[in-house]
Amino acid sequence: MIDRRFVKYFDWGLLGLTVFIACLGLIALYSAVISTTVAPQKTLYFKQLIWYSVGIIVMVLSFLINYKSLDRWAPIIYIACMLLLISVLIFGKHVGGARRWLILGPVSIQPSELAKIAVIISLTRYFSRRADTGGLTLRELLTPFMLTVIPFILIVKQPDLGTAMLIVLIAGSVTVFVKIERRSLLFLVTACTVAGPLVWFFLKGYQKRRILTFLNPDRDPLGAGYHIIQSKIAIGSGMIAGKGFLEGTQNALSFLPEQHTDFIFSVLAEEWGLMGSLLVLCLFLSLIIWGLNIAYRCREPFGTILAVGVTAMIFWHVFINVGMTMGLMPIVGVTLPFISYGGSSVITTMICIGLLLNISMRRFLYEQ
Amino acid sequence: MKQIKFRVIIVGIVFTLFFTIIGAKAMYLQIFCRSWLSEKAANQYEVSLKSSGKRGTIYDRNLREMAVSIDVTSIAAHPPQIKNPKAAAKSLAKALKINRNVLAKRLTSEKKFVWIKRKVTPKEAETVRNLNIDGLDFLREHKRFYPNKTLASQLIGFTDIDDNGLEGIEFYCNDDLKGAVSRYTVLRDAHGRGFEAENITDSDSRGKNLVLTIDSNIQYIAEKTLAETVTKFSAKSGMAVVMATGTGAVLALAHFPFLNPNALNEFDQELWRNRVITDPFEPGSTMKIFSAAAAIESGSCSPNSIFYCENGAYRVGRHVVHDTHEYGWLSLQQIIKYSSNIGAIKFSTKTGSESLFRTLHNFGFGTKTGIDCPGETAGSLASFKKWTKIDAGTISFGQGVSVSALQLVAATSAIANKGIFMKPYVVQAITDHNGRLIKSFAPSKGRRVISEKTARTLTRIMQTVTTEGGTGVNAALEGYSVCGKTGTAQKIGKNGGYANGKYVSSFVGFVPSEHPKVAILVVIDEPKGQHYGGTVAAPAFKNIAQKTLAYMNISPKSKTDGLIVSLGSKAKACSFRIY
Repeated sequence: MIDRRFVKYFDWGLLGLTVFIACLGLIALYSAVISTTVAPQKTLYFKQLIWYSVGIIVMVLSFLINYKSLDRWAPIIYIACMLLLISVLIFGKHVGGARRWLILGPVSIQPSELAKIAVIISLTRYFSRRADTGGLTLRELLTPFMLTVIPFILIVKQPDLGTAMLIVLIAGSVTVFVKIERRSLLFLVTACTVAGPLVWFFLKGYQKRRILTFLNPDRDPLGAGYHIIQSKIAIGSGMIAGKGFLEGTQNALSFLPEQHTDFIFSVLAEEWGLMGSLLVLCLFLSLIIWGLNIAYRCREPFGTILAVGVTAMIFWHVFINVGMTMGLMPIVGVTLPFISYGGSSVITTMICIGLLLNISMRRFLYEQ
Repeated sequence: MKQIKFRVIIVGIVFTLFFTIIGAKAMYLQIFCRSWLSEKAANQYEVSLKSSGKRGTIYDRNLREMAVSIDVTSIAAHPPQIKNPKAAAKSLAKALKINRNVLAKRLTSEKKFVWIKRKVTPKEAETVRNLNIDGLDFLREHKRFYPNKTLASQLIGFTDIDDNGLEGIEFYCNDDLKGAVSRYTVLRDAHGRGFEAENITDSDSRGKNLVLTIDSNIQYIAEKTLAETVTKFSAKSGMAVVMATGTGAVLALAHFPFLNPNALNEFDQELWRNRVITDPFEPGSTMKIFSAAAAIESGSCSPNSIFYCENGAYRVGRHVVHDTHEYGWLSLQQIIKYSSNIGAIKFSTKTGSESLFRTLHNFGFGTKTGIDCPGETAGSLASFKKWTKIDAGTISFGQGVSVSALQLVAATSAIANKGIFMKPYVVQAITDHNGRLIKSFAPSKGRRVISEKTARTLTRIMQTVTTEGGTGVNAALEGYSVCGKTGTAQKIGKNGGYANGKYVSSFVGFVPSEHPKVAILVVIDEPKGQHYGGTVAAPAFKNIAQKTLAYMNISPKSKTDGLIVSLGSKAKACSFRIY
């Protein structure tokens, strides 16, 4: 099974880029958890290192199997993930008013993270069979819609609006990528424009507040707007050159909320300045372009769509998270891949990278 | 597949555009907004605090602490950072025993900083710390404490909550005592917890210490005697002063009723003053010694010049002056000994108004002594040019003139000091926080008010007052000869005339006559039952004099004249400083 071409075609560049971003992420996390004056959370740092070790194993597994076999496994993966999401709603651990975690022995996992990948794989399976038609009709869109709506509802129930919206965005990106029939697209755009405002009435109080605050952070500077204002202060006060490693005041003096998860970019931008934030953004953009390049070079639809889906996931994560810390997006609990603390986030990201390596490496198998 | 590849490129372009937006936003925040966002950040975490150094200690002459500052904690709050002001107010009110509603109002205010309670007990601070309320602040402050409670309290004075002296020495020497105010910046986290910048040392901002001339032991003797006397005669109040005759150093300055500055609010404001210095009163007969001084100094009389005392009633213009006993012919010396008002008028008439005024003025009456205490009164002594005939007469025996207790004892002290007036003072040295001397105050150079000969003559005359038959016989001490003069002044009533039955009884003098060490004054205001200075004040004088001399190891005449010289007591006497 081991072909010499695997070694020849192995995407060292992508791996190198991944390692680089992951290292930067670990340095930023070190600042975030160590230099706080309140209670240094050193254990979090070691936990993250353990998660990365697990992540590497998962990544290796994700590229060893032939990605084409996912086509067969897709329904099982999807159903398994949906069952996990249902069990979260039943057995999940309450944290801050939401059930998002499933306790499995010593670790707690967030099935909603895995659900993203399950949705990407099942959509890929469905779309890859219709890739060369003139565009998807409304009837053809029904199945992808159902595939997306089921996890969406289950995740909204937790409630975790951020991840739920992320699934919609990823699914939407993949669907639009595959091409929708012109008439259908027109209909969908009109429907969304009309239905969009109605969503407001289904939102919970805190979710409405977040959106209002996003539109005007100064509405409640010490309450709902506090996070976004503090985050902007941290980023802006980093100026061009940054305050230096472990020198960030807003992080150290606990002004930044969730500084090791959702707002880690603010820590990074405060300590490393504009140079640091642009560097990180450039690295992420390189990674995304790299992923799209893999999609481009892949010679069969399943690989291409899967690569686009996985890349879109990384893209939306980065865009929403960074946008949120700078006040471009409402505050939703979306992590920054490789950098935010969190086992589920690390493992999901590593699966994505594994899949990209996988597609990249096996492109020779489908020479035409 | 070709079409799909084209779409990958489109996706790439779209994603890149999105990244450009966040990149641009990052530049906007970190380049264009950097200065005001940095300022905003600094405003959040940098708090400029004022800290005043510890107030200096006030010591007595033996370096016993009379006023000290102790470290205490004050609790403040940053209202915007308090998450649940109502719950916080409730638990704080319970822990600190303060009004809950007032507190809730303060905690919900718009202000950035409010006091919760200042200068709390260590136990209260601990309780509040354990409540773990975010947004509270624990500041170190100093609280003034007077370890001897009531001792010399009117002299020492007190401070307000911000460490500013309000009365007494605390007020007069506030600039020396007060610690320097230093501003420093602390870092503060989101929970309002402060992190002090390092190496803020307290030592350079500490206030200076004062060493007083007061001797706690003599002060205690004076206060105890005063308390007993005032109580015994159900008097309104009393004052006593003990002064070192050679230097003008005040050794004791006592008031009764007492005042405990640690619990100031429990006392009437009337008791806060240092009345020895601030309150003028008509001295009465004690003034006769100074009239006699004028008579002798001017050369118009000798101690043996005799005057007819009109058998107890003498008309001056429209007024009739009375003596308590009827006297015929008395010598000047006897006039003092028996305290004849008519006699005093007679010899003062012979002295003349101008000479009388000049001598009284020289003794410091009518002008402030310049003591280092606040609110001193000059008393009142009108110029002789404005005197009527009756004025000239009554001033000679202490009516129509007012003096402070301090002026009286300082003037008496001048006679003891061979005619040289020493300016009274209470602060003898200023030291830094390590006890190193910064400045010391030597006794003033002194000012001659009468010749040494006149002083010696007056000493002899004053000695007779405490001998058999004199008005001040109750002040006589066993083993020492005492110089003194009684005073009994009727108080001025509401209608301007003299009030019936209201007297100020006093006794002023110095001991021992041969080598005077201390001048002592006792003034008792409105004694009941008895009112003569010789009955009310003289015994108190005697008590203070006796104990003070014993404490100072001044040997009685018989022992000095005799053979017993105790080496031990001599060595002990050397340990005292400037007396």
